[in-house]
Amino acid sequence: MNKLLEVSHLTKKFGDFFAVDSVSFEAEAHEIFGLLGPNGAGKTTTIRVIATVLQATGGTAIVDGHDIVKEPQVVRSTLGLLTSDIGLYDRFTARENLRYFGRLYGLHENELECRIDELVELLDMKGFADRKAGKFSTGMKQKVAIARSVIHNPNVIIFDEPTSGLDVLAAQTVIRFMKRMKDAGKLVILSTHDMAHAKELCDRVAIIHRSKLIANDSVEHILASTKTTTLEHAFIEIVGKDESRALQSADELKHLTKSPARITNSVTMRSWITAHALQLRIASIVLVFAGVGISYVDWFGEFRQTVGYIVIGIAVVVGVVARFLGKKKI
Amino acid sequence: MRGLFTIWKKELVDSIRDKRTLITAVLLPVFLMPAILIGTFKFQEYQVTQTETKPVIVAFNNADSAPALVSFLREQPRVSIVDSQDYQADFESGTIQTYVDIPSDYENLFTLQQPISIHVIEKSSKIDSQTATQHVMVLLQQYSAQVGAARLADQNINPQIISVLAPEIVDVASAQEVGGFFFGLLLPMFIVLFALIGGMYIAIDVSAGEKERKTLEALLLTPASRLVIVTGKFLAVATTASTTIVLSLFSMYAAFKFFPPNLGAGEVVVDLSLSAIFVMLGIGVILAVMFSGLLLSVAIFAKSYKEAQNYITPFYLIAVLPVAILGQIPGFNPTTIFFLIPGVNAVFVIKEVIIGTFNSLHILLTIGSLLVCAVIAIIVASKIYSKEGILFRD
Repeated sequence: MNKLLEVSHLTKKFGDFFAVDSVSFEAEAHEIFGLLGPNGAGKTTTIRVIATVLQATGGTAIVDGHDIVKEPQVVRSTLGLLTSDIGLYDRFTARENLRYFGRLYGLHENELECRIDELVELLDMKGFADRKAGKFSTGMKQKVAIARSVIHNPNVIIFDEPTSGLDVLAAQTVIRFMKRMKDAGKLVILSTHDMAHAKELCDRVAIIHRSKLIANDSVEHILASTKTTTLEHAFIEIVGKDESRALQSADELKHLTKSPARITNSVTMRSWITAHALQLRIASIVLVFAGVGISYVDWFGEFRQTVGYIVIGIAVVVGVVARFLGKKKI
Repeated sequence: MRGLFTIWKKELVDSIRDKRTLITAVLLPVFLMPAILIGTFKFQEYQVTQTETKPVIVAFNNADSAPALVSFLREQPRVSIVDSQDYQADFESGTIQTYVDIPSDYENLFTLQQPISIHVIEKSSKIDSQTATQHVMVLLQQYSAQVGAARLADQNINPQIISVLAPEIVDVASAQEVGGFFFGLLLPMFIVLFALIGGMYIAIDVSAGEKERKTLEALLLTPASRLVIVTGKFLAVATTASTTIVLSLFSMYAAFKFFPPNLGAGEVVVDLSLSAIFVMLGIGVILAVMFSGLLLSVAIFAKSYKEAQNYITPFYLIAVLPVAILGQIPGFNPTTIFFLIPGVNAVFVIKEVIIGTFNSLHILLTIGSLLVCAVIAIIVASKIYSKEGILFRD
């Protein structure tokens, strides 16, 4: 068994928010491994961390024997990622786009030209390989983007929504390509919403929901354990159960935080500022006017301007605090 | 190194294929700007010539009281005398440019050889009225001097007795120096402008453009480090901006050399020494390098072309305004501290070099300050390229 990807307790936080929460799974050569989950579950962030585009907050992953934390550059040269953004350089032809990335992956000129010819043939791009990418259809762009992601012949290939927005024929070309990669001994990670494609292609699937891995097994076992006949039903069953568990936990948490003692303990200064950001901003504006007013009114005698400046200064501080600390966290 | 060269080459080819970069980096500085400048000066010359040869339109009140004076003015080649019933209305309609109010007792006072008060009325809100009035005033003074001299001669007194001084200005500045002074007012400003404009579009294209095209993630997935990516892009921006500077300098120099403007005191002679050209090019290129780093740092923040342009516009004003203001203050002699201010220092050094002053301390301080600023800008840009929040914000 040739393990090409070992993900271990991988975690990614954005501020206080866990986008990926201790995700672990393994995948091996000659396999198409499905990564399923609803929108915003954390699939793309997981992929981006594995591809070293984002830095892991905790845990790690080993890609083709290389640690993403210790050897990010080597990992990038052994991994190919087709992102959901299939942007190309519009003023360059398909071949020029591929040539640019091939050079950045360190391929030598002869080797690179052979590889480009091979991919043009494989992905059926002969008709447009020498045309500028600016006028390509989505299908054409997707094919060039796929070729770009595997230009360096990586052993681990990750496809993020590869058939999204494609017509049936273009989608079939992509699917055939994934199968060929699997047959060639590569590990293909497929992140998708399309359960039919996942069932047709994947040997094993992992389901990510609310940033956590909630299932990881072969398609057959998942269908058997959920007593369903389609992957779509199995997915709904698994995600639904997890969702109700999460809602129940949230309910319990809400119940607990209603206790006055808990409120006193848990409300931090920052959350108070966040909750009262609007009031603080209004207060700062009122204070500015008050400061200006004090400077003209004779209540403080010769100190009226000093007091006025102090009040305006406090207004500025309150305004700045409300502006920068009062932001709601996503 | 190969990655750096690949990125640099790709960005340059990409920018050459981009019409916007070609227009701002090549077409505007090389052809359009010299054409506009030379065209403006030539138009100014034409206007001055027109003013000098065009007759001034004068009307009189009580012309019959001073026939000799009116006849003197009528004989002048650039004076056209017309009638006016309502001078206010005629000023408005432009049928007269100046109005000479001769007192009714002119002849009597003239005979008595008493001073005669004459009002020359102008409408100062109209340029041609001002010019005409000045011309008429000169003629009236000439007439007064002629009559005065005749009166002295009648009494057998030499008229020259009342001329005590005959002051005359003698300019010791050579034609080259005058040309250098004139060129020094214009050129530094344009160098700063082109250093910014030349790199502006490519800086936006390689940073915010990469995000807008959604190619950034694919680039970050390659083994090239963030520093290599940023440096490659920076070098491409710096190359374009430096090329703009070099092309624009040669283009402006050639334009003023072959089509010298005449600003009243003869043609402006532009003749720079080789060392002056060398220093100016060097400072211009380093200035372009510094601005490239700053432009890139600013543009990386943006997620689209439009947003990047919004960020760069205030930056553009901040960079150009002090240069424009300080560079044009007449008689302003910068102290050494001014040669530490990036951008402003380049203007002062170029001004010095154009008039033939080579101050090594000023040149070295300027180069050092610009280079330090450029290095800081690259480091900042590279740090920004490592910020996930900036790279992946939607």
